[in-house]
Amino acid sequence: MGEVILTMKDIDKTFPGVHALDHVNFEVRKGEVHALMGENGAGKSTLMKVLTGIYAKDSGTITYEGKEVSFHNTREAQDAGIVIVHQELNMVGHLTVAQNIYIGREFRKGIRIDDKKMNEEAAKLFDRLRIHIDPTETMSSLTVGKQQMCEIAKAISRDAKVIIFDEPSAALTEAEIEELFKIIRDLREQQVGIVYISHRMDEIKVITDRVTVMRDGAYVGTLITKDCSKEDIINMMVGRVIYEDPKACSAVPPDAPVVLRVEHLNAGRMVQNVSFELHKGEILGFSGLMGAGRTETARAIFGADPKESGDIYINGKKVEINSPQDAVRNGIGYLSEDRKQFGIVVQKTVAENSTLANLGNFMRGLFINKRKEAQVAQQYVDSLATKTPSVEQLVVNLSGGNQQKVVIAKWLVKDCEILIFDEPTRGIDVGAKNEIYKLMNRLAAEGKSIIMISSEMTEILRMSDRVLVMCEGKKTGELDIQEATQETIMTLATREISI
Amino acid sequence: MEKLKQHPIVKKAGFNRIVLCGVLALMYLLFSLANKNFAGLPRILSALNYAYFLGFLSLGVTFVIATGGIDFSIGPVMFCAALISGFCLTSYGVPMGISLVLSVLVGMLFGVFNGYLVAYCSVPPFIVSMASMNIAKGLASVFTKTQTVSWPQSSAPGGWYRNLIKMGSIPVGLIIFLAFAALCAVILNQTRAGRYILCLGSNQEAVRLSGVNVKKWKMLAYVICGTLVGIAAIFFVAAYTTVQPGYGDQYNNEAIAGCVMGGTSMAGGLASISGTVIGVFVIALLQEGILALGAAKDYQQVITGIIVIAAVYADVAARRRKN
Amino acid sequence: MGKSDMPNKSIVERLGGQKVIVLLVVMVLFAFFCIASPNFRQYSTVLSILDYSYYIALMAIGVTFPLITGGVDLSIGTGLICYSLVGGYLVVHKGCPTIVGILVAVAFGVAIGLLNGALVALMNLPPFMATLCTCMITRGLGALIVNRLGISWPTSGTEGSWFRDIFKTTIGDIKVPLGFLWVVLLVALMAFVLNHTPIGRYAIAIGSNKEAVALSGINVRFYHTMAYVISGLFAGLAAVAYSAVFSTVQPGTGAGFELEAIGGAIIGGAGSVEGSLLGVFVICLLKTGLPYVGLQANWQQIITGLVLIGAVLVDILKKKRSGELRAA
Repeated sequence: MGEVILTMKDIDKTFPGVHALDHVNFEVRKGEVHALMGENGAGKSTLMKVLTGIYAKDSGTITYEGKEVSFHNTREAQDAGIVIVHQELNMVGHLTVAQNIYIGREFRKGIRIDDKKMNEEAAKLFDRLRIHIDPTETMSSLTVGKQQMCEIAKAISRDAKVIIFDEPSAALTEAEIEELFKIIRDLREQQVGIVYISHRMDEIKVITDRVTVMRDGAYVGTLITKDCSKEDIINMMVGRVIYEDPKACSAVPPDAPVVLRVEHLNAGRMVQNVSFELHKGEILGFSGLMGAGRTETARAIFGADPKESGDIYINGKKVEINSPQDAVRNGIGYLSEDRKQFGIVVQKTVAENSTLANLGNFMRGLFINKRKEAQVAQQYVDSLATKTPSVEQLVVNLSGGNQQKVVIAKWLVKDCEILIFDEPTRGIDVGAKNEIYKLMNRLAAEGKSIIMISSEMTEILRMSDRVLVMCEGKKTGELDIQEATQETIMTLATREISI
Repeated sequence: MEKLKQHPIVKKAGFNRIVLCGVLALMYLLFSLANKNFAGLPRILSALNYAYFLGFLSLGVTFVIATGGIDFSIGPVMFCAALISGFCLTSYGVPMGISLVLSVLVGMLFGVFNGYLVAYCSVPPFIVSMASMNIAKGLASVFTKTQTVSWPQSSAPGGWYRNLIKMGSIPVGLIIFLAFAALCAVILNQTRAGRYILCLGSNQEAVRLSGVNVKKWKMLAYVICGTLVGIAAIFFVAAYTTVQPGYGDQYNNEAIAGCVMGGTSMAGGLASISGTVIGVFVIALLQEGILALGAAKDYQQVITGIIVIAAVYADVAARRRKN
Repeated sequence: MGKSDMPNKSIVERLGGQKVIVLLVVMVLFAFFCIASPNFRQYSTVLSILDYSYYIALMAIGVTFPLITGGVDLSIGTGLICYSLVGGYLVVHKGCPTIVGILVAVAFGVAIGLLNGALVALMNLPPFMATLCTCMITRGLGALIVNRLGISWPTSGTEGSWFRDIFKTTIGDIKVPLGFLWVVLLVALMAFVLNHTPIGRYAIAIGSNKEAVALSGINVRFYHTMAYVISGLFAGLAAVAYSAVFSTVQPGTGAGFELEAIGGAIIGGAGSVEGSLLGVFVICLLKTGLPYVGLQANWQQIITGLVLIGAVLVDILKKKRSGELRAA
């Protein structure tokens, strides 16, 4: 490890309603790999966005190469030598690898772009990184892993002095991860400072020199990787006081009938051989880190994405679900994590959204019975305590929590017995959150069966009767609420993967 | 301005449509001032005789645009329908009544073709339009051996179909057009089909995830459009009697213009039949007014083009502000 | 690894994808018509095919650029007539030298291209809608300028008709389709622009991932606009070719020309200038050749329509299959 190249001190950032960064400290030295860890929403990404100029900080200082800096956009940060390799790729699929690496700063020969030189330079770069990619290959024909390598090569070609890897391994195969680690070690040799954001505990142990842990937007501490154990890091990540009491024990009688049984469900690499049972009146928590395959599992069950194999039984009877239509017909409702995109039609009214899944019941002959529609919508507005001036209000004008209630109303109007709540409280303020919780408990008490996908540990512990943990597209464990703790869940969610 | 827009009465009637009505009234006033003969119902009604077919095209394309798609094969398909049915009438001696039905059928078939390709095969609406435009033109030309088809004059046997536009002094065409517009408004606002068409135009994925068969309803929008285009063909020949193969493109623009002017959003999800009707009237009045002023008809093209750019830009800008 | 990374690339794709197939189609069609009809195998037929192809080919070269950015330019057809009318009006009625008429026609094309670019790239109008409007405007404008009268550019043998020789000249007794040479040269030039200059490179990039281009610090608006300017420029050149070949221009026509050009470009894969040219030849061959085998020329339109859908469907199916493979 060399001298300090980058220091972030007392960084503070507040978004409306959220204290996203609370006086965070962070430093990177030349030739070190510095892991940045924390649960989902701990503030890692926000911190990196402040560093690269995507967000402006409220207070604090950033010192880079001995000078105080403040970047206004990623371009400025790049020019200074701080580059971020994003999780989502910023690639132009129709251009070649070399053309992508040098986009916006092409070599020229007169008015002509010198592709030959770009290919040569890219080839040299790949040689240096010991990556085997043909620079003349079209970007879209590469695997996601190879595209990621190109993104890294692009970062390096800018003579970066600090490179931030934001969950680089999420989309890579094991062989590719190995290749990535080789590159990272080479970069370390060359005295580049590296920030490595990842959820994978074992990678952290293998590749990083130091670990900084964040929790709830605050800095927790920095450890030397080789001197600490996995448990030390987990304890730092979850060591938060839980304000809401976790559920003491399951509210579901042990002999409650199985409403939904999923057997050996497979759908791509994010859903591998998932099997579980859901009982009547139960809230089954789906826990795991970002990208564990929970949403993909839910979408496959719901028929939103094609599945490769697996059987689904409802009330003991095998059902064929190949489209959301089939799922809804079988009484399954799905509340997406992305309300705006998948849940509601924002330009339509509360009433129109409420009846979207069950319009057939509101027909009088050929026509929609708008009186009945408004009545029923109003009934659910009342019973869910949705805050809206009227059922004629456009949903776009409601707050996040109330939009969520409209989506819930949609499935209640359809009278679904099985409800899949995917991140039900994301983007919803604390008060509204509690209302949603109460509502879910009420629904479960009334005999509805609920799958709740949540990345918030407190939410999982407070709501679930049973917890299913996923990691890397596989189910890694099932815990009764009594045995579920932050530590046991986190251990399952970061289950070792072979490297 | 914003306050005015939020006023309940304005909201109910639709800001866009109020502005458009104002434009309509203003245009009428200006043309009447400029040309004494312009004022008066008979002149307006006779102007409208040549605009009903455009109205049906506009009504049809409103459904397609509501899904977020586009269909600019409507003009040539209308010509194709008029040519094929007219050729059957004049050359094969098919009775008038059946010829009219045939015309609607041809339009509907093109609607099925377009709708199936867009909804079930995910071919971009733009490409589908291009293709069926070519096919419609080619089919009509091949079928008629590139001959102009003349439908019978009012006095000739079978000429009764011209009464669909005007019977004596009764503006039958206006009545039929308004009746169809009312029907379209009911379909769009009061039935399941209309509800799903509007919703999927706004957010197709959310509607799909609500367990709705979006492909079916999307296709239906194109079929409705095709059917109305077939009806438009009838009103075209009732007004002009002769149809020439190889044309029809020019009416796409005007029909889409009428629809977009009336506040139907090119992005889908928002559509207004009453807006479309007013939009068509604006175009018809513009056409007639320019004629009354003794100016070249071509001004109308230029002016319509500019109005549509303004209307689309207003829509784009409003959406950007919201985001 | 290197080469072994692309084992599932077919020979066709390695040779340049759809272009190769379209080239084969052109050759097969030509051979078919030659065998089927003795009258087709004549030099004069080739000449008339070429004559007819110039203005469509030029439009297709230009419109390839908006298509590559993911947009379209519907104004080229009526625009062509408008530019030709304006240029011809200056020559015939205002006594300007032919060269001025030609330059004005081309400049007018560039101006409308600039307008389209501004509407699409700066004002964010849907390309389809924006160019539909300029299509109406150019159509009306052309007719207004000439007061609804047709324009006859100088015919061969009269003064100022030299520009017609640019496209077809007579050496000895033989008519030489010089225009073909120019079209090929322009295709080569624009292929160079597309593949080796920033204008082309960024047009491709904008069509592929506009956000990523903007994030790379590239002036997206400028390059987006340029695609439409090129389209306008070539519509202007097409106007010159049209005037030279047909000499008489009628206001109010031109709608539908763009379909043949855009159709040709899409058949050619909508991704390369050469492909667009080949696609245009498919259309022109069908149009000229079908009557020789006893079919009406209008069958060409029906066939074009079906081929368009077929080409896009194949593309969609291919993507679907590879998408499923990747997910698996």
